[in-house]
Formats: sequence, structure tokens, C-alpha cells
Amino acid sequence: MVFSSITFLFFFLPVVLAVYYLVPERAKNPILLLASILFYAWGEPVYVVLLLLSIIFNYFCGREIDADSENPAKAKRCLIAAVVFNVLILFFFKYYGFVLDIVNSLVPEEIAYRELSLPVGISFYTFQEISYLVDIYRRKVHSQKNILNFALYIAMFPQLVAGPIIRYEDIEKQLTERKISIWKAGQGAALFIFGLAKKVLLADTAGKIFEQISADPAGSLSALTAWIGCISFAFQIYFDFSGYSDMAIGLGKMFGFEFRKNFDHPYVAKSVSEFWRRWHISLTSWFREYVYIPLGGNQCSVSDNIRNLLIVWLLTGMWHGAAWNYIVWGVYYGVILVMEKYVWGASVDEMPCIVRHIYTMVIVLVGWVFFFSPSLGYALRYLAAMIGGGAGIADMEGWFILTSHWLMYLAALLCSSRAGHAIFRKVIGAFGVIGNARVKYVAGTVAYMAVFAVSAAYLVTEGYSVFIYFRF
Amino acid sequence: MTEVKKATAAPGVFSVMKYASAVLIIVYVVLLMFQTSVSSRSFDTVASAVEDSLTASSLKERDGQRFKRNFGLNSADYEGVLYYSSESGMSAEEVLLIKVSNTAQVRKVTGAIEERIADRTDAFEEYAPEQAKILADAQLTVRGRFVFYAASPDAAQYRAVFDSSL
Repeated sequence: MVFSSITFLFFFLPVVLAVYYLVPERAKNPILLLASILFYAWGEPVYVVLLLLSIIFNYFCGREIDADSENPAKAKRCLIAAVVFNVLILFFFKYYGFVLDIVNSLVPEEIAYRELSLPVGISFYTFQEISYLVDIYRRKVHSQKNILNFALYIAMFPQLVAGPIIRYEDIEKQLTERKISIWKAGQGAALFIFGLAKKVLLADTAGKIFEQISADPAGSLSALTAWIGCISFAFQIYFDFSGYSDMAIGLGKMFGFEFRKNFDHPYVAKSVSEFWRRWHISLTSWFREYVYIPLGGNQCSVSDNIRNLLIVWLLTGMWHGAAWNYIVWGVYYGVILVMEKYVWGASVDEMPCIVRHIYTMVIVLVGWVFFFSPSLGYALRYLAAMIGGGAGIADMEGWFILTSHWLMYLAALLCSSRAGHAIFRKVIGAFGVIGNARVKYVAGTVAYMAVFAVSAAYLVTEGYSVFIYFRF
Repeated sequence: MTEVKKATAAPGVFSVMKYASAVLIIVYVVLLMFQTSVSSRSFDTVASAVEDSLTASSLKERDGQRFKRNFGLNSADYEGVLYYSSESGMSAEEVLLIKVSNTAQVRKVTGAIEERIADRTDAFEEYAPEQAKILADAQLTVRGRFVFYAASPDAAQYRAVFDSSL
């Protein structure tokens, strides 16, 4: 099921919320778990069994590692076995076909194989399970004794299919003691509505423009159209994924949970490393905590640090999918971040703010070309078009898109910076000046309801589209 | 003494349960391989088998533009698209084979096909009920990354060819 679908918005969510608020405290976790399993089974009836078995496996691994904490060697063996098993399952679903395709392209005889579709959310919940086991081994947390609570931590529907990747230490206490209040639920609903609007009004509109441009051969695009296509994709993926994350965090609040933010206005960054501190924060911090630091992080020689950075970014690229373009995209960022750290970072820091911002955005946009391209050849042709190697510098298509969609781009620009939210708050705040706090509260509620109504109207007329990160 | 026994027995139980669930996962994945997987056959191989089976002479191969107009989808987004539709506007016959690039696209494609069937059924219901019947009996199936749709009196036969070509 998708958050931005009519079924979810007008049936599933209201029913689950109503039941959740009505049942006594002790029944809340089982109800939420049941709803989460139903939510997953709605779209993945086959893989719900895999999810449940994975939960059971990791629950017992966690209990065993915790029970062996007095015997570090044994606990380490358990941890390694569990992590290897989790990674193998993930690898099998995600990369087995890709690896065999590579082998087939290298050997004269074709090896026939059978492939399975990718279970939705497997990359997210596997990473969550690995972090849980490692944290138990590191004695940062104790294993969860109640299997239903553990299952809820892994399968909670707000974050199950596309994150954020939640650390057990952040949620351990909340699994048994959390505050549910009207104020918190209201905050959650507001965040959810913002996320929905980002997805439906901005991401899907930008996505349609990108779809239209990318339907043409890359060689037939002018530089203007190619840049508009790339910028449209940048807006689409940002509003799609940050919208999803807002909805997930908002839903969490409605159920009394607090999740960490996953995005922090990445497009305002003034360096590539800053961009990655603001984009998909839960994934980058996962890789830092469980790969980069164990490899030695930056507490080692320069050459080892460069190796560590490249490994982390190669894995980040691979995590996104089994395709060469994702691997190139990951390595591209690895190289850029190494260069920023050891070659040109200090010079960039001395440049005027606007130059640093343009430098970051150009690198990010070029990165998105590798990300969205179906093949490396297409990516190179698209990059050539961006520097005028396609159909010249500008054409009618580019001007037409700009003049007919300028309002969407303006809104996207505002909403991807802090300005959009600040303007919205200022408008609501103005009611506080002219009236009292109650007027401000009512104005805020009306504004949010209006945003929700417009988003719902779009959904009814345009239909919903699946979130980009569901495929990872 | 009892305390010591408890402390040592528990990890044993966890270990047994861990191995049992790992075995169940492996068995389940193996079962899935037999039940729901598809072969790695290329789009061209499957498309050629389906194409050879098309018997209706009125069916004509269509390009990406017609595919986009009829289904609202971009052919460039997919690994392969084969689309045949009738030359006559009075016929609901059409055959579509798509290999999606990733499984997330499956829902979008099947949604577009279902919408197309619903729209055409509305259009044909009044004046050509036999064409509406063809749409009601249309074959739509998803096998791995392949989506197959056929609206034709021979739809079941086309479907059988598609199934056996995988």
C-alpha cells in the first residue's frame, strides 16, 4: 500500500488510527503490528512470509548475542554469522540476476537462471536488523525480549518500505513507553500533510516533466531542455523521498513515536559533503556507523582513509540497485568526496557563498544523470546534451516547459529551501497578530486542510504514483 | 545451580530457533524460486515467440507514440515493449508485452492497462457489445518482470504462448 493512495488516506489510516486510539495501552503494539503486516501484505502478499521469518531469525540472533555477551568470541561468531546470512539474503534478491548477467556477458555459453522480484523494503529492514544486532554486540542496547515489540520495531508500517532506517537505541524505550497526545498527533498530521503535498503536488508534477523529456533520445535534447530535465528529476526525487520521509515521521508521531529527520534541505548545501549530511541522513549515518568507522574511518593514514571512503560510496551506490549506473553514481560521489577532502575542499571553502552553492548543485545534478539513466551510454549522451552536444543550446521545447511550468519550479525552489516553510509559518503567524492565539490555530488548521484537500483532489484526478525509493 | 542451568540453556534454545528460522527462510526462498520466479529469457526471445503466434491479420505493430497515446506510458522507461493493435477503430483487439526495468514499474503498467480496459469497455459497451466481451475476457498477467496483456478472441492462445516462452 502507498501512503499517497486513496485507499490508504481514506480507509486504512483512519480505521487503524481509530482502533489504535480506542484500544487499551497493552493492545496498542499488537494492533499496530497487525496493521503493519496488513499494510505490507497488501502490496507484497508473497513476501510477507519472508519478512516474518526474517524478524524471527533476527530476534533469536539478537537474544543469542545478548546471552553470549560474557563470551565475546562466541558473541562475535554469532554476530558474523547473522550479518552474513542477512547480507546473503539481501544479495540474493538484489544482485543475483545482475551478477549472472555479468557472468553471461563474459562467458561464451549463456547460463540460464530464474529470477525473483525484489521484496519491497528489504534493503531498509535488513539494514535495520543488522544495526540492531551490531548494537547488541557492542553493548549499546540489550536485545528485545518481547518478540512482538521487536517485530513492531522492524515492521512498523510508517517506515517499513522506504525508511527512515531507524536505530533500535532511538526507539527501544518508545516501544514500551510513549506519549500519545492530541498535540503530538496534530503535529504528526501536519507533517504528513506537508509530505503528501510534496509528493503529489511537486514530485509528481516534476516527474511528469522529467518523463516527457527523458522519453526523447538524449541526442535530440538541447542543453536547455537537458538541464530542465535534470533539474526536474532533482526536484522529483527530493520531494518524492523527503515527502515520504515526512509522511513516515508524521505517521510515527500520530502513533506516539519520534523518529529522527531524514532530510535537512539538502539543496541549500554549499559543499558535496554537506549535501550528504543533509540527504537521506539515516542511510549515510548507517554507513558511517557500521562500515566507515569499523574500517578505520579517518583515524588512519590518508591512503587508508581514501580506501574507506571509496568502499563506503561503492556500497552506497550498490545499495540503491543492481545496475552499473548506481555503482558509477556511488563511485562518482566517493571520488568527489575524496577530492573535496584532500584536494580542493579548502579552496572551495574560501569561495563566495553563491559560487560554493553552484559548485555543489552542478555536481549533484551531474550525479542525478548517472542515477536516472537506464544505461551508462545514455548517461554519457545525456551529459553531452547538457553541454550542447545534443540539439544545440536551446530549443522551443525547453522554453515551452519553462514558460508553462514556471510556477511549479518557483514553488519547488521555495519548498526545497527553508524559505517555503518560513513563508507558510509567517502567513499563519499573521493571523496571530490580527487576532488571538485561537484565530491563529484555526487559520493553521484551515491552511493544512486546504493543502490536504488540494492534494487529495490531485490524487483523485491524476491517480497516485509509486514512490521512487520503493524500488530500492 | 538452577540459575546456572537457566543461563546456559537459554542460548542453546536461541541457537536452535535461529538455525530453524534460517532453514525456513532458505526453504521458503527455494519454494518461491519454483512457484513465482521466471526465467532470465531476454525480451527479444519472448517477444519473438509472442509475435509469431499472432494470427489476426488486422493486428499491426505500433510505435512508442501510439503506445504512449493509448496507455500513457513511455516506452523508453522499459526494457522492452511490443505493442500490436487492430487497424480498425471498431475492434478492441490488441496485444501488449512489456519487460519492466524494475518491479516498482509493474503496478504502474498494470494500472495503465486496467484503465485502458475500463475506458475501452465504456466506449464499446453501447454500440459493439461483442468487442466489450473481448475486453471482459482479456488476458492480463505478470510473470516476474514481464507484463502481458491480450484482448482478442484468441487471447487465451496468445497467453499460452507467452507462458511457454518464459
